[in-house]
Amino acid sequence: MSGSRTGKSLTKYKIVFLGEQGVGKTSLITRFMYDTFDDHYQATIGIDFLSKTMYLDDKTIRLQLWDTAGQERFRSLIPSYIRDSHVAIVVYDVTSKKSFEYIDKWVEDVKSERGEENVVLCIVGNKNDLSDERQVSTEEGERKAQVLNAKIFIETSTKVGFNVKNLFRKIAKTLPEFQKSDNVPIDDSTSKRKPDVIDITTNKEEQDQTGCQC
Amino acid sequence: MDNSVGTVRANGKHSKTDGRMVYLSTKSPSVPNLNEAYHGRFGRRISPERPQSQLSPLSIAEDPTNASLIDLYGDDDDDDDENENENESQSAEVVQNSHKSPEIESTPAFSRSVSTGIQGSSEYLSRDHATKDLSQYDRYGFKKQNAHITQEQYHEWWEEYSRYCIRRKRKWQDLLAKSGLAISNNDVPDRFPPRSEKLKRYVRKGIPAEWRGQAWWQFARGQEKLNKNKGVYDKLLAGINARSDKVSGRDLEVIERDLHRTFPENIHFQKQPNNNEEPLMIQSLRRVLLAFSDYNPKIGYCQSMNFLAGLLLLFLDEERTFWMLVIITSRYLPGVHNINLEGVNIDQGVLMLCVKEYLPDFWQRIVTKDQSRNNEFLYRLPPVTLCTAGWFMSCFVGVVPIETTLRIWDCLFYEESHVLFKTSLFILKICDQEVTAARRMARNKNLSKDDSDIEMFQAIQTVPKKLVDPQIIFERVIFKRRNSLNDLSQDEIDRCRRYVSAQRLKFKNYADIMGDRSTANENTKRDISMGSDFVENALSSEVYGFRRSLTAAHWNNSIKERVRQIRRK
Repeated sequence: MSGSRTGKSLTKYKIVFLGEQGVGKTSLITRFMYDTFDDHYQATIGIDFLSKTMYLDDKTIRLQLWDTAGQERFRSLIPSYIRDSHVAIVVYDVTSKKSFEYIDKWVEDVKSERGEENVVLCIVGNKNDLSDERQVSTEEGERKAQVLNAKIFIETSTKVGFNVKNLFRKIAKTLPEFQKSDNVPIDDSTSKRKPDVIDITTNKEEQDQTGCQC
Repeated sequence: MDNSVGTVRANGKHSKTDGRMVYLSTKSPSVPNLNEAYHGRFGRRISPERPQSQLSPLSIAEDPTNASLIDLYGDDDDDDDENENENESQSAEVVQNSHKSPEIESTPAFSRSVSTGIQGSSEYLSRDHATKDLSQYDRYGFKKQNAHITQEQYHEWWEEYSRYCIRRKRKWQDLLAKSGLAISNNDVPDRFPPRSEKLKRYVRKGIPAEWRGQAWWQFARGQEKLNKNKGVYDKLLAGINARSDKVSGRDLEVIERDLHRTFPENIHFQKQPNNNEEPLMIQSLRRVLLAFSDYNPKIGYCQSMNFLAGLLLLFLDEERTFWMLVIITSRYLPGVHNINLEGVNIDQGVLMLCVKEYLPDFWQRIVTKDQSRNNEFLYRLPPVTLCTAGWFMSCFVGVVPIETTLRIWDCLFYEESHVLFKTSLFILKICDQEVTAARRMARNKNLSKDDSDIEMFQAIQTVPKKLVDPQIIFERVIFKRRNSLNDLSQDEIDRCRRYVSAQRLKFKNYADIMGDRSTANENTKRDISMGSDFVENALSSEVYGFRRSLTAAHWNNSIKERVRQIRRK
């Protein structure tokens, strides 16, 4: 697997967000992109597309984020778009057992379209700030992620902004761009300072935030 | 042209006591009163059980101080009436008006309203929307500003467009008067004239906002439907109430989750800060969607129907909203919301055929040569269709800004679904132009397929959101006389739908029998194409169908040719 790259332009990675309706896919993207949160986002119909430049460890990559509709019937529309994505983020809501059980179906879709090896599969348990309403424990999540052979498992809270940057940092680390040390670094002297570039270079406070907060 | 239009009326000197549509305001003095109107009407008018008349723009308030903008519509002393020419030059009037803007005149009032908000006396702060700056909301309660449009841009446009709306309403009043139709006491006509070329033109230029509900209802023949189904809606609601919560349909949870995700930015769908009760709009929306899911289990609830019902509720009462939803999902967009979404896929296939026919350059960008050569794209729809599918499912609600959406809806109910195809084609055309222009700017860059895909998707996501001015679509597409899209009639769309539907069925049957190789060999082959032999084999079983369909794909051309011949004569 590798991102596409031409000439001097940035390497691009396509990330698709999947998961049941209302688990927080749009919210996750909004938190990552703009670091904001609203209680309600307008429901996504079909697909939404966003593109963002990300900066990490002296390297800059371009991410294409595909936000999808969560309702079951939309699953039939989505597969062909999963086809050439590099990363699939399957989201569930830790306060909804049903949304957790549902991730199997999405993972199945990803695997049948993309095969086991060609995609970085991430399982994300969102809304972990709602500890009182929790229906899925962190351990359950971890176990399922293992069974499903996901490369990344993480719990997030888009509401309080917990672990969102971390998720994207982890994803970046799995991309070939950040694995080979002999990779020719992209000249980011200009893009680095641009305001529209998200810098997720590791900082100490956030570094060890993994798993559950509580 | 009466220069005092903006000044006098915006200052409310001529205000009528029976003014409607209070919160039509931008920077007008009616702004602070949205608060009271919203507050007052809610409590009085709408029974929690089942409101007969929902919060529609026309029923919002009767506070005389709120009449300013309505009055703008209703004033009779304008001498614009004699202008019978429907193709009047808008720009001329705009020029005449430009030195005289209501914005300037109403500035004191506006700043007053702002300062009220900011000072926020304790009394004010404790009230519902006082903490929200009401000037941020448009006449339907939607937020003016968003990621794509600043408040300034909005006002700049609205100043001009509101004048247009006033002129149009006067025209409508004349038309009704000539047709011998009375406007009843509440300023809403009971009936609109029968269908005619003239009426179509009027509809295309926009139905007055406060008459929209009634007009849509008539054009979509809602009353016929309701008359045949008297009491059905109430029975459905009774059925839902009688059922215990546990047993209630599978759609309950799905609907519940979307209620607050319909128009989170609209004031009528938001909770009031000092009141923990659920907004009445949300309650109505829930009832309509639940009733629909019971009424038509084939569809149940499909995301995007919340937008359709939500917008209808702003203009019609609950029961009528329900029947309009029934009409939209069956007559205008058949199968589009069905569980398998086949209808929307068919419509996307139709749209792609239209793109191929009408926007050949754009077509080159979204498909490979192989996909274009055979009809594979009807089965394996190009990625762009997942964006455009949403346009159809929600009839552009949330896709284009609200005033533009409403103008599209005006035409949709009068002229049926080909309006959606035309609008889509036009938007794709602007996207194409935008991408082409951007590419010309960066000439030195040789874009990869990926880069150009990103560009295209970016354009498709953002271009429609910026179409705040409906005139962009309606002047450049709908009214343009010499427009290739004029050939695209409802008949054509319907025939095209049948053709695409048949084609897709053929592909599906063949794929089912043979096993879809492109997915079977997924790990080794990343090619999206199913392979030309696959497609040809799929079609060889029914060559006739394909040939007939070939004509279908080309009949646009033949019609074009006929039109050309007629013109030559």
